[in-house]
Amino acid sequence: MIVMRKRILLGNEAIAFGALASGVGIAAGYPGTPSSEIIETIMKYGDNVYAEWSTNEKVALETAYGAAIMGGKALATMKHVGMNVAADALMSSSYTGVDGSLVVVSADDPSMWSSQSEQDNRYYGLFALIPVIEPYDPQSAHELIVKAFDLSFSVKHPVIFRTTTRISHVRAPVELLDSSPPVKGKFHKDPGRFSLVPEVARKDRKLQLQRWEKIKMEVEKLNEIEGDGNKLIIASGIAYAFVKEAVENLGVRAKILKLSTPVPIPKEKTLKAMEDVEEILIVEELDPIVEMQVKELIVDNDVNLKVRGKSLIGREGELTLDRVTSAIGEFFNVKIEKLREVTVDVLPRPPALCPGCPHRSSFIDLKKALALAGVKDVYFSGDIGCYSIGVLPPFNEQDSLIEMGGSLGVANGVYRSTGVIPVAIIGDSTFFHAGLPGLANAVFNKTPMLILVLDNRVTAMTGQQRSPSKDISIAKVANGLGIEYVSEFDPFDYTSIKEIKNAMDWVRKNGKPAVVIAKRACALEVLDSVNGDLPIAEVDENKCTGCTICYDHFTCPAIVPLPNKKAKIDLDQCIGCGACVPICPFKAITIKGEQPKGWESWLS
Amino acid sequence: MGIMVKLNLIVGGIGGQGIITLGKMITSACEKEGLKVLVSEMHGLAQRGGAVNIHVRIGDVYAPTIPLGGADCIMGLETNEALRNLSYANNKTLIILNELSIRPVLPGIIPKKVEEVEKLLSGYRVVKVNLKEISEKIGDKRVINSAILGFAYGLNVFPMISESSFIETMRGENNVKSFYMGMRIAHDFIRN
Repeated sequence: MIVMRKRILLGNEAIAFGALASGVGIAAGYPGTPSSEIIETIMKYGDNVYAEWSTNEKVALETAYGAAIMGGKALATMKHVGMNVAADALMSSSYTGVDGSLVVVSADDPSMWSSQSEQDNRYYGLFALIPVIEPYDPQSAHELIVKAFDLSFSVKHPVIFRTTTRISHVRAPVELLDSSPPVKGKFHKDPGRFSLVPEVARKDRKLQLQRWEKIKMEVEKLNEIEGDGNKLIIASGIAYAFVKEAVENLGVRAKILKLSTPVPIPKEKTLKAMEDVEEILIVEELDPIVEMQVKELIVDNDVNLKVRGKSLIGREGELTLDRVTSAIGEFFNVKIEKLREVTVDVLPRPPALCPGCPHRSSFIDLKKALALAGVKDVYFSGDIGCYSIGVLPPFNEQDSLIEMGGSLGVANGVYRSTGVIPVAIIGDSTFFHAGLPGLANAVFNKTPMLILVLDNRVTAMTGQQRSPSKDISIAKVANGLGIEYVSEFDPFDYTSIKEIKNAMDWVRKNGKPAVVIAKRACALEVLDSVNGDLPIAEVDENKCTGCTICYDHFTCPAIVPLPNKKAKIDLDQCIGCGACVPICPFKAITIKGEQPKGWESWLS
Repeated sequence: MGIMVKLNLIVGGIGGQGIITLGKMITSACEKEGLKVLVSEMHGLAQRGGAVNIHVRIGDVYAPTIPLGGADCIMGLETNEALRNLSYANNKTLIILNELSIRPVLPGIIPKKVEEVEKLLSGYRVVKVNLKEISEKIGDKRVINSAILGFAYGLNVFPMISESSFIETMRGENNVKSFYMGMRIAHDFIRN
């Protein structure tokens, strides 16, 4: 492979170009922060590479797995929690192995910048007996994903490639390897290996353990010992970046075992690194995956060394230079001046629904409709998407939001234990991801609940990736699954309140589930499709009474209060969508200007 | 032997203000100079309106984020967002405030005014700039990021990057204009 010149790349782009250099032939993923740019980059630059957004991570992994069964070089990408969805296939892949390469990227999110948990997916490696490779920066990510494909291909076993937010979403110079021709599979069958009936599974289990022994040897060469000294620091993945900088800043003499394979750790190299060492510090982000294995190794080999790790580093959140410096300082008995966070009173500024977001109107309509229907107690069973912002005031319409597709099952449980009719709120992409079984369950078990599908035509939160809702009608799906009451409405239209009320009345009367679909495109998607000047909202100051409804209860970011409480349009933010027009009880807001070309994409 | 850090810069602002683009402008300029640069971005959510920041590190660095008290410069595209990143400042840190205070999209929460933020920052090196004046003169509201880069450049925040490397990375005439306009304001400021 020829090395091209350095380019500044996002970590995820570096991973994608690394996959292309490995000859990836098939790539599938489900969007999820911080993983989404990998598939996007492969779609853009992968010549003759089949790349798709699958409906969920399980299907994405199965797609890559099937391709690798045929001998192709295959990649599946997902965020860490997506691997829970794909776990069933993942566990089996370790039993059967593959004929080509199967690399599963898990993009973990320590500190939970945009996730419901910071689960450490290196556990999956220990759990499933699948090696885990983790880089420490975009350059190492680019090089190590090539090693991941090589390892998978040589051992015929899946490999987990674990990245994190601070690798995936860091821009840095990367020396790029040239692309290799994509490797697709050759049609063949081997049910004696891939059809996991008990007889086959028991045989595969033995082979899996044999491969695991081979993997233990293979990973030795992916790890390095740097420097010397009588104190050893074992640094895995991104921890190496922090350790390297902290050690140089402190000017201490440390031997560093730089780990790229936290699972399994390289036993020989680790034992070698322990020679002539008095103490060990293990630096790793989140859970003590390496620490547990090192402690096991020490016990097995009668090594008498003091090992410290989580006791100095902590288990929660992203590593910082401060945390790592302080731990290494203590390890070396160097006194460190501790900086404290400055506590200033800063206002909260969570992400907000964009100007023109159809969800804002849906949340307002839903509240009004339930009031109109005379519903007092209601449980808003929420889900994952931009509409998760509905947890915030003034909406307060996400009483729980647990995981992708969870709104329907949780709503069922709430009803079964309290008898209160719940509202399940789910987006279009999430509906196809994991909402379908919950919907079938509601029909099958006759759960009285209102299901509000917020269909904004894209997977918006992760950057407007294509959603199945563009090709498959959610109304038809609901009908097909046996939902007797299905209606669609435009959330910008005032009649939507009545649509929702009628549906709720029907649920209460019939004791069965009903589906209402709020259908209007994501505003960012529309802005990408229009060409020309946008219309703009205008407030008639004579009509405006300063009632605060538009900015404090509707909360469009483009409407701001004047000192006299009257409303003013922020011209920098307003996109002229008109959602605020029916909100004003005094008809003080109007839209000025022509609709530009492409404006019809709101209702595409 | 310590790590050679040439610049630790934090840019804080609000989603939609173009912070990620600003980070790209700096990385492209560093690319032209052959400098190692790490820019850590928070762009998990595509929605607008939330607090966003980037950590920019130029030099022989490894860690993707800046330690507490370790920023040479903090730029706030909105004043309250500069305040949010104050833990990264020390007594030498240059804090550049865009004279802009935006209320969050939460009902009933009043943001601090520029003067109030300034008062809280009285112990720090603070310089103010009104980016809206620049963007209004140019007639393009998207140029505030090139304007603040020009302003910072004029204050010698980027001694390791040549003017031409910055200019070559700017897309479109308006960005170049606003970069120079920001730079001129900085030069006037230094003179006075």
